[in-house]
Amino acid sequence: MMLDTSNQKKFVAKVDDLKVYFNSKRGTVHAVDGISFDVYKGETLGLVGETGCGKSVTGRSFLQLLPIPPGVLVGGSIIYNQQNNSSQRFETGSKPGFPNSRNFEFKKVDLLTLTGEEIRKIRGDSIAMIFQDPGKSLNPTLTIGAQLSEVFLQHRTEEILEMAGLGSEASGAIRRFASQRNRIFDKWLVNLSGNRSTKSRVEKAVADLVAKALSDTQVPNPVKLMDRYPHELSGGMKQRVMIAQALACNPDILIADEPTTALDVTVEARILDLIQELQQRRQTSVVYISHDLSLVRRICDRVAVMYAGRIVEIGTNNEIFKNPRHPYTIGLMKALPSADTARGELLAIPGNVPELINPPQMCRFFSRCAFATDKCKNQDPELEKVTNSHSVACFADVAEISGK
Amino acid sequence: MNSKKDNVGQPILSISEVTKHYPIREGALQRVVGHVRAVDGVSFDIFPGKTVGLVGESGCGKSTLGKVVSGLTDPTSGSVSYNFNNQLVSISNLEKNKFKNFRRNCQMVFQDSFASLNPRHLVCDIVGRPLKVYKEVSGYDLVEKVVSLLNQVGLGREHLYRYPHQFSGGQRQRISIARALALNPEIIILDEPTSALDVSVQAQILNLLNEIQKARNLAYLFVTHDLSVVRHMADSLVVMYLGKIAEAGETQAIFAKPYHPYTKALMDAKPSFDEGQNSKAKGLEGVVPDPARPPQGCRFHTRCSLATDKCGWEVDDVVRWLEDTPGMFESLTAVERKSEFSAVLSFSDESSAANLTQEMRSEKLPTSMRKALNQVKINEKNVQIEFEPVEEILLREKDGRHTACIIEPKN
Repeated sequence: MMLDTSNQKKFVAKVDDLKVYFNSKRGTVHAVDGISFDVYKGETLGLVGETGCGKSVTGRSFLQLLPIPPGVLVGGSIIYNQQNNSSQRFETGSKPGFPNSRNFEFKKVDLLTLTGEEIRKIRGDSIAMIFQDPGKSLNPTLTIGAQLSEVFLQHRTEEILEMAGLGSEASGAIRRFASQRNRIFDKWLVNLSGNRSTKSRVEKAVADLVAKALSDTQVPNPVKLMDRYPHELSGGMKQRVMIAQALACNPDILIADEPTTALDVTVEARILDLIQELQQRRQTSVVYISHDLSLVRRICDRVAVMYAGRIVEIGTNNEIFKNPRHPYTIGLMKALPSADTARGELLAIPGNVPELINPPQMCRFFSRCAFATDKCKNQDPELEKVTNSHSVACFADVAEISGK
Repeated sequence: MNSKKDNVGQPILSISEVTKHYPIREGALQRVVGHVRAVDGVSFDIFPGKTVGLVGESGCGKSTLGKVVSGLTDPTSGSVSYNFNNQLVSISNLEKNKFKNFRRNCQMVFQDSFASLNPRHLVCDIVGRPLKVYKEVSGYDLVEKVVSLLNQVGLGREHLYRYPHQFSGGQRQRISIARALALNPEIIILDEPTSALDVSVQAQILNLLNEIQKARNLAYLFVTHDLSVVRHMADSLVVMYLGKIAEAGETQAIFAKPYHPYTKALMDAKPSFDEGQNSKAKGLEGVVPDPARPPQGCRFHTRCSLATDKCGWEVDDVVRWLEDTPGMFESLTAVERKSEFSAVLSFSDESSAANLTQEMRSEKLPTSMRKALNQVKINEKNVQIEFEPVEEILLREKDGRHTACIIEPKN
């Protein structure tokens, strides 16, 4: 699990000075204000922070899922480093039947500048996402099987055609049917008697793929599940379907945006096990967005703590939780109710998260910080290295704070 | 309210054998075809100045119980008794005046502060409303009283004329608490008051609640699913599963050594922060059974890792098991139940029936379930199954703790 990242600094994604603002009536909200971090291969990176600190915005900008406008991409880049060894998948990139297909090379691309067509090929294929509320993110009008097959139809057309025994000689209509790019008369064309048997072969192939994806997430009786609608399933089961969908195409990066917040603890533990197991088997990098510190401590290799649109501390699990350097990180951990804190003596962080509308040039934690000095008021601290893997954005004497 | 000091030994609120069933209606005539047993025979007491924590998974009936206790819905049977001047009186048949008296003494704080504060009302109106309704104060005094209430929860005069949407989640929860405190109640029912809040704010609210409790000798019924919060807040604990109490007792004792496997499972599923990295979390298999048809014996046996043959295996377990086995459920055509423990399963073809009988005797079935089987008889397409019938498993007391489990806790 613990991956030695020092000798193989091979990042799959590099977020560099990402800035996402939102225009509102009262001014510009600096939701994410210049954050940088790397995601290494096979690791789990935890992104922790409180509501409104920009962790979900960060996660969503990987896949251009932000509402723009009102959102504005002010600057920065997310470089995605396509892992060559794991993929023959992009060979299909320039096959006929793909409208607009260009021979773009997925060596290193900036996810933020891709066109809609290009990002579509990455979404759900090499970068996938699991959302917080499985009840809201599954389409209630489609069966589980229909929803899951979309992923395959979008990204695995060639494989499907091969499984159906058609290979390259498939007719245009069938090919378009198998990649969900139907044209006006295609529906009628594939249902012609000559095409019907090939059509059903394609459908069978898709169903097989879906069943396999579902059985990977340990759902009992996956074939039966495919005919069900989301409302017939329990929360844990729905989340399993979401995971099956996200991991269907063996993504390089999985962005998990609080995947277990809507679930019961007993189910949560099993879902986490499942994600971990699948991750290890496939060497997927996971960006785990959460506000639950105890959970992040349990599953993450590295942790980035966010506050008010900034990363205030980033480091390995041990560094963050055993040797926290930022007053905010320390405060968060002290605020957790534990077995030995006496009642009424939780150390809460006073005050509230500051508004992010046109924030002044100062430390954003200033108003709540017990160690604030004049310097914090006039200058904005940058992330500075404490050790090779541990960085903190704070002026205060870190040793003094962590002693307390 | 002046009798607060006298009745320390007596519970302020006593809940005895409360059940709440919701009818399921079907068809054009909306006939009642069954009941969802949300709460099914729950009893415990709440003492002044103490906190009772009520924990369980979603759908176990904890919020419903909170509603019954506060008088928002009537229980189907059983009673909630409130202490009027050292006399426990059931609240369901109270005359209007007395019920009003109960209502003002038993307040509620809800989980979702967005939904529980009227977005069109000013804070001043929201917090002042109970005072107006009970004609406590009026006019200028009302505003002053509201200000003093807001001060108690860490807000101030400047917040009087604002709308709920202008506040953050933590502040809105403070407003809810101020409203609950307005009439100087004796008990507050807190329905997941911090589950929508961030940790740093949660700590603020928990501290605030503790402060108020000390100052006013309040009793809390703290409904939550978060064990670390309940461990911090509650004096005694009630663990619910599927409408029933699985375990009840002193918080410290239960956390030191849970007797019921379900309590243990809950704790294992969420190791506390101190236990650190690489502590393994263990979840539970399967789903909670349908509360409309809860198991006859132990309600937890379907997911219990320690289940024995005496735990109440029944026909539904076989059907559920069939559902998860590919190919078998499709050929099942009918289930004719004689009782919970004996039934005839009809299949569309003989081979499936033979298959089932074979599998029921094989290793595929959980061992404890196989032991509980009295007989499996095959008759062409029909399979007759009979389990050892068991009685309902009741709460038993041991060293001041109540557990609903037939397995003796090991020492």
